[in-house]
Amino acid sequence: MTESREPAPYAPARALSVYLLGTIEFDALQALQRRLAFDVSGDRDTAALLVCEHPTGITIGRAGSAAHVRPNPHQLEARGWPVNWVARGGGAVLHVPGQVACYPILPLDALGLSPGRYVRELVSLSVELAREFAVDAVPDFERPGARSRGRRFASVGANVRANVTSFGLLVNAHPDLAPFWEVRCDGDPLPMTSLARESAHRVRAQTVRQRLVELIAARFAFDRVSVFHTHPALLPRHPYHARTHGS
Amino acid sequence: MTRIEVPDLGAPATFGQWHVRAGDRVRAGDRVAEVLIAGAVIDVSAPASGTLAERTARAGDPLPPGTTIGTIEDRLVEPPA
Repeated sequence: MTESREPAPYAPARALSVYLLGTIEFDALQALQRRLAFDVSGDRDTAALLVCEHPTGITIGRAGSAAHVRPNPHQLEARGWPVNWVARGGGAVLHVPGQVACYPILPLDALGLSPGRYVRELVSLSVELAREFAVDAVPDFERPGARSRGRRFASVGANVRANVTSFGLLVNAHPDLAPFWEVRCDGDPLPMTSLARESAHRVRAQTVRQRLVELIAARFAFDRVSVFHTHPALLPRHPYHARTHGS
Repeated sequence: MTRIEVPDLGAPATFGQWHVRAGDRVRAGDRVAEVLIAGAVIDVSAPASGTLAERTARAGDPLPPGTTIGTIEDRLVEPPA
């Protein structure tokens, strides 16, 4: 008879590879994310975290609708705001400079987490982050994310495939908030706010990025963190004529 | 017959959409459907290779843990020559 064991809340001693990518186009991010998710699904002792910011654009998750985007397609094209429909939870999200986008690629089964628990951990983590900047933050588990004075400043939308996560968490550090009147992020009638707007302290995206990495590493029990500033898949490829003959 | 069951996802779940049609051939591990919880989309993989015999879940259906959303005929049916 096999004895079923309760899985440990978190697995010990794992390494997290963190990629601080700066500003990156959403399409390039998606390609890298797919590759890393494939790698992690084949080696569940590994995990990755992509941290970046995107040029202005819109992504729409499975709970979103085109009705949440106020500008019509011609206006979006004129502004250069691409729209990507993506397989993640949550609704429409506006990406603008000044946000911190976090894409944890974690093997949930190896960490002993269910998808529901994982989402709740990301929500709690964003509240904890905001409180470090003296922001009066509350979790929103109905539309996963976090709010301050009624307005959202963080949004959670994940995908889980073969127990490996992708997409994840978006935090408004200090973006221009005017464009948020144009998109009902996650279907919320109020425009998003930011940590900079809600905090009496100075909020820098660099500090938010650093604290997010530390909080994610701590919350999911990674005791080793390796930080990279690019990934080989993002490096420009040599043109065909410049490759070694026969390669 | 192998049943495609929804595991305990740790949150109330609803059915999202199918990626395959009844009669389609699938291999074990293929993504066949999407299930939604608040804040996440979970891809459901085929538990066995074979032919999708039946789809019993529709978009928006609530899915308690263990709900069967479809069945797979384990024998691969070769297409007619």
